[in-house]
Amino acid sequence: MNHPPEDCVVHVVDDDAALRRALRFLLDSVGWNVRLYASAEEFLDALTPPETPSCLLLDIRMPAMSGLELQQVLSERGIALPILFLTGHADVSMVVQAMKSGATDFIEKPFRDQVLLDAVAAAVRRSAEMLADSGRREGVRRRLQTLSPREGEVARLVALGEPNKVIAAALSISEKTVHIHRQHVMEKMGISSAAELARLMLLADPSALD
Amino acid sequence: MAATVRVRSGKTGRALCALSLAAFVLAARAVNPEGIAVGVFAFQGERAAISDWSPVIDHLNRELPGHGFHLRNFDADGLREAIAARQVDLVITNPGYYVTLESQFGLSRIATLQSPHAARSGQALGSVVLVRAERTDLVNLRDLAGRSIAAVAPEAFGGYLIAAREMLREGVNPESAVRETRFLGLPMTRIVDAVKNREVDAGIVRACLPEQMSREGQIRMEEFRVLSPRRVDGFDCVLSSPLYPDWPIAVTRDIDPGLAKSVARVLLSMPEGQDRVSWSVPLDYQPVLELYRDLRVGPYAYLRDITPEGLARRFWPWLLGLLALLAGWIVHTVRVEHLVHRRTRELNDSLAAREAAERRVRDNQDRMEHLSRLSILGELSGRLAHEINQPLTSIGTYANGLLRRDAAGTLTPEALREACGEIASEAERASGVVRRIRHFARKRAAVREPVDVFRLVEEAQRMVAGMLVSCPQIVVECEAGLECRALCDGLQIQQVLLNLIKNAIDASRGLPDDRQVIRVRLTRADSRLVVQVVDRGAGLDAAQRERLFEPFFTTKPDGLGLGLPICRSIIEAHGGRLWAETNEDGVGMCFSFQLPCHESSA
Repeated sequence: MNHPPEDCVVHVVDDDAALRRALRFLLDSVGWNVRLYASAEEFLDALTPPETPSCLLLDIRMPAMSGLELQQVLSERGIALPILFLTGHADVSMVVQAMKSGATDFIEKPFRDQVLLDAVAAAVRRSAEMLADSGRREGVRRRLQTLSPREGEVARLVALGEPNKVIAAALSISEKTVHIHRQHVMEKMGISSAAELARLMLLADPSALD
Repeated sequence: MAATVRVRSGKTGRALCALSLAAFVLAARAVNPEGIAVGVFAFQGERAAISDWSPVIDHLNRELPGHGFHLRNFDADGLREAIAARQVDLVITNPGYYVTLESQFGLSRIATLQSPHAARSGQALGSVVLVRAERTDLVNLRDLAGRSIAAVAPEAFGGYLIAAREMLREGVNPESAVRETRFLGLPMTRIVDAVKNREVDAGIVRACLPEQMSREGQIRMEEFRVLSPRRVDGFDCVLSSPLYPDWPIAVTRDIDPGLAKSVARVLLSMPEGQDRVSWSVPLDYQPVLELYRDLRVGPYAYLRDITPEGLARRFWPWLLGLLALLAGWIVHTVRVEHLVHRRTRELNDSLAAREAAERRVRDNQDRMEHLSRLSILGELSGRLAHEINQPLTSIGTYANGLLRRDAAGTLTPEALREACGEIASEAERASGVVRRIRHFARKRAAVREPVDVFRLVEEAQRMVAGMLVSCPQIVVECEAGLECRALCDGLQIQQVLLNLIKNAIDASRGLPDDRQVIRVRLTRADSRLVVQVVDRGAGLDAAQRERLFEPFFTTKPDGLGLGLPICRSIIEAHGGRLWAETNEDGVGMCFSFQLPCHESSA
């Protein structure tokens, strides 16, 4: 799961060109792959779903689309990207709103370099975790799709902890047939317990067992 | 009705006279049952008149039979009305009324009464003014000024008017100069009694009345004295006046001239005798007219109207109306004046109020300008902070990037050049911001005028007190007799004062009350005015004091570190100096600045 820093992208969105370049100079020094954008719009134009761990270093105040607005757009598009806000002195109320909307952290200008680098590292780590979760979820979904409809029905009831006898009554099949379906589900999903099945199903679809 | 008939017949008679024989006329007259009416002014009552004049009527009827001469008694007004209505043919009256009626109705006198007492001139009427014998203070008629007098009536000839004219001649206006004039009417003896009883100071009576009363035993002459006494040759009675002609008998214009001639002849032929009425040729009544003119009565009453007093008496309703109009006009004028005055004042007031409001707005704007400058100097504005933070952040970031690369051994010459170039240009950018702030602080055109710095301090004190919810005590101390005027820009110095005072307040915030007191001291050193802002606050250590005036150095959590550098640049621009030191006892700070004094002699 460990990614080398040069594989990890730090997106910097700030309208201040000098500060953008300074941030790249600092982030370069510890090896991050830095990409600079002069505005939120420019960033959105170049955006693709992240394939490697990455984070967004975002100025909260900008002339056209503000940092908060960009955060809103990313959330709407379902793009999982940890955001670090760069804030000024008097931006407390904006920071509060940004944190409520799921910002990872905020860094007050002028900042100490170590604080910034630590925050970036943490955000990238978080991103890596999110990517890993996302990969696992995809694997589980693919395996769940190999189940036949009947196996799917049995799997759901098994995951809910129902005994074979109840499942047989619910599906109007014999207990023996339930037992066979159950074995197939465990084999296809590569697991051995009902509890494990429940976890995988929830990972793939949080509302699977409602 | 009868009178009208008679008059008409008279006119007819006169018309016929021109065409017919006089005898026929006389015959026609003879059948007139009323005959010739003799109108008499009966001033003493009807009975007396009849007794006085009946011998004359009898004589006329005897000498001119068939004309039916008969007496008709009238008072003054009645006689006038009778003449106006042509009810009388002959008139016997006193000289005063005669001259009045003569001019008014065209009477012609045909004879004058011949008094047995008359003077040689034939004149027999005069006045005598009596006082009590012991009144030695009253000698002449002029002594009557301010006295009370009694007389018969305002129009009585011998009983008032003759004496009145003499008073006028002696300089005492009988109408205004005496204290009081009582008109007691007839009989005239009432007047003598009034003097005798001390009811009045003097009394006016017809001449010879006192002598007559004395003869009849009614008075004793020794009891009385006569004012301005005089004697007239041939006249037996004492007088206070000259004599005037006695009563005339006159004919009206309607009477037949022939008959008038006959009557005159008959009267003149009446035998003279003691106590008997007799007539002489008609005398000259000019003196009577003169009397009337002098007194402005009778036919000359109009003269009275010429005097303001007379005009007032005659035209008083008009005058009153005029006065009312005048008063109304005055009131109107005064009111208009008042209104104009009031409106002018209101207008002035409102103008003044507007001016005051504008001044207040201007003052407030000045104050707001101060406050906004102060807030920029002393506290952070987000915008300004952002502008300064950006280059500061860039500089710090580049510098740290350099250090990290150096530590990692990855520092390349290119990276070094890039970073240093950026750092230099960002530092330039930051100082540009500072320059802009300073420029902002100095935006006002350089003003140098004599300003009372003591007043500035007081204003700053008030403004700070107005700005803060709980303002600590600020004590202003001014060296006795100090000339506090400095050549400066009052607004900028005010800004410095506000800044120093606010710093002092911040330094002593949260301390006990006695350490929150702030003193502003004004002293003079040579040609410089020194202003010190002294606090008893937390104070500063040596390192802090050293960096105090550096831009961006601040000890306040929300400070920008620009207040004092700007204050210093303001004071230095004034040719002064701003410095800070710890108080001698080591508690709190003292910020001082000096400004060149304004030499008023220059």
